[in-house]
Amino acid sequence: MNPIDDETLQAYVDGELDAAGVARIAAALAHDDVLAQRVRQARALREQVRAAFDPILDEPIPARLSALLQPGTPPVATVAAPRAVAASRRISGATRHRPARRWLMPSAALAASVALLAFGLWWQSGNDLVRVQAGQSFAAGDLSAALDQALASEPRPGSATVIGLSFRAVDGHVCRTFVHRPKPTIAGLACHNANGWSLPVLSTAVEPAGGELRQAASALPPEVQAAVDARLRGDVFDAQQERAARDAGWH
Amino acid sequence: MDSSQTVREGLIPLLPRLRRLARALAGPTADADDLVQVVLERTLSRAAQWRPDAALDKWVFAIARNVWRDEWRARSRSQQLFAPEEVGATVADGSHTQLAQRLELAEAMATLLPDHREVVALVLVEGMSYSEAANLLEVPVGTVTSRLARARAILQTQLGRDT
Repeated sequence: MNPIDDETLQAYVDGELDAAGVARIAAALAHDDVLAQRVRQARALREQVRAAFDPILDEPIPARLSALLQPGTPPVATVAAPRAVAASRRISGATRHRPARRWLMPSAALAASVALLAFGLWWQSGNDLVRVQAGQSFAAGDLSAALDQALASEPRPGSATVIGLSFRAVDGHVCRTFVHRPKPTIAGLACHNANGWSLPVLSTAVEPAGGELRQAASALPPEVQAAVDARLRGDVFDAQQERAARDAGWH
Repeated sequence: MDSSQTVREGLIPLLPRLRRLARALAGPTADADDLVQVVLERTLSRAAQWRPDAALDKWVFAIARNVWRDEWRARSRSQQLFAPEEVGATVADGSHTQLAQRLELAEAMATLLPDHREVVALVLVEGMSYSEAANLLEVPVGTVTSRLARARAILQTQLGRDT
């Protein structure tokens, strides 16, 4: 019998073989451990790819994207790609004075990768600020306590965690941005749900702590701002709303 | 109902899949959603060209692929310089396997050439058949097959499985 080549094997794993081809592989699998191992590897890779990207299907749709599809939205002109996106963001984000030009930095995507990566590294360092539950990251320890208690309107000198924006996300949960210093130096977004403060995004791409942490909100890394953008509709909490939300247990 | 409105309404349920495809093509969050935004704008501006007998998802995915391929990569070419070696060594702890695998895979995807990454995105991520992917890419099915096999071999090597 001819050896099974890689293309045939992947067609088998992807369900692209005809019945005769499937029968041939199935027969070979019965007595060929190497082939069986190759099939397992190819299946595992397929599963890993799905597992990496399928969670995106459950993410909230960024408001700026769904807004484009609202009925009554005037037809858009075709735009020159990236710059026009940044421009439209600048308009929509103008009221919050976010540093829109960051979006033009080619390193924005890179920083997001760095965030993921740093998260992995940071995780391994044995910190107790984050726990993982059912594949999701949650704040733990001091970080969780700070998110529960701290108010942006009443910064506590010496506290490692500084709260930036608090707001109610499109899905109804209360979310808060934070910067934690100095070790590990991280910024992120935390959203409150029944299991605690979930952390949809974390980053170590935090600017040095010049002028104290007052500008925690404006100094957020781009990927954290993107996570805010994806969830924010309306205004962020003022001091009174923030306190009220705390008193209500962030529900 | 005019075609513009039909397309607009048809796009809404496709948004999650479009974002997933964009992430597979373009990489991390912010950049990929910028790509989605451009694709939506482009699709709406061409709504008059859409034929109702054509599948809207295939049409918009083809637009996404072309925008990414023709316009997007030039902007984010610097991403290719980003391939930190440390990632393979991170998070070995078994309890974080899921997270670790996602990190590893994202890194491995970033090393693929465009020809390879798009077949992975269309077939393995979006779940298209080989012939659907071939139609979208306007290449023979055999080309999809060989590119996909090559991409898999690279990914498995990157992920340290091909020992």
